[in-house]
Amino acid sequence: MGMSNFLILSSIVFAIGLLGIFVNRKNMIIILMSIELMLLAVNINFVGFSYVYNDLSGQIFSMFILVVAAAEAAVGLAILTIFFKNKGTISVDKISKMKG
Amino acid sequence: MFFNIFSAIIIVSSLMVVLSRNPVYSVLFLVFTFLNASIIFLISNAEFLAMTLIIVYVGAVAVLFLFVVMMLNINSTKIKEGLLKYLPFGVLLTLVFVGELYVIFQGESLGFVTPKIDIEELFQNGNSNTKAIGLYLYTDYFIIFQMSAYVLLVAMIGAIVLAYKDKKSIKSQNVFIQNTVRKEDLIKLVDSKKK
Repeated sequence: MGMSNFLILSSIVFAIGLLGIFVNRKNMIIILMSIELMLLAVNINFVGFSYVYNDLSGQIFSMFILVVAAAEAAVGLAILTIFFKNKGTISVDKISKMKG
Repeated sequence: MFFNIFSAIIIVSSLMVVLSRNPVYSVLFLVFTFLNASIIFLISNAEFLAMTLIIVYVGAVAVLFLFVVMMLNINSTKIKEGLLKYLPFGVLLTLVFVGELYVIFQGESLGFVTPKIDIEELFQNGNSNTKAIGLYLYTDYFIIFQMSAYVLLVAMIGAIVLAYKDKKSIKSQNVFIQNTVRKEDLIKLVDSKKK
């Protein structure tokens, strides 16, 4: 279980999160979930480096990423519910009011 | 061995998060992904972080997602209309990104690095993983720890302000009117003997 295993796993999960953002144009909830997946990939990377190099600071930093992820999910879902209440849809294509 | 099994499960279930038709299934696969990631954390000696991942993600964030998905009640047949339209472009961009990462990871390894906070040394002194994290989180990283508390506070206030809706039908007190009321507005003196 070396460094390369962690790096391969986390880059694949990060890429899947990226794919989710590109593919889902009708559902904003799945885009938020893809962002959670990308943050999970970053966490896996930090824990992997912490395991391989025997350093605890990776695990401590990973906790702060967890905090930011939870805050981001709360605010994002609140914005989503408000948007659905106003417009009746959560399609990404319909969010174009600022475009003029 | 265990690492490969669980990472294969993570990859398959995170693909299902992105590609599944029903958003409820997506959330459930997200929960499954996080459970397997916490097992990965467990076998790489990060026990506290594994349990935190289960509590925070599976217990709070995923349930929040599930709640919102079920509350919004979206028509799931129309959701995937644009999937085939955007899939080739998305796969192309993802493959380019993975290729770039591969090229970067081909570079020479860091070799031996002296750890800043040595885990082995902490274990030799009889500290568990949780105690070791606490020893550093509450001393060296205290400022960052407190700032993350402020981040959570601001997020909480933001979510409440966004989702709060002032209903006109509910009879509630208005503090401003209560404080600015004068006695002439409420009490009217009438001379009763005049009649």
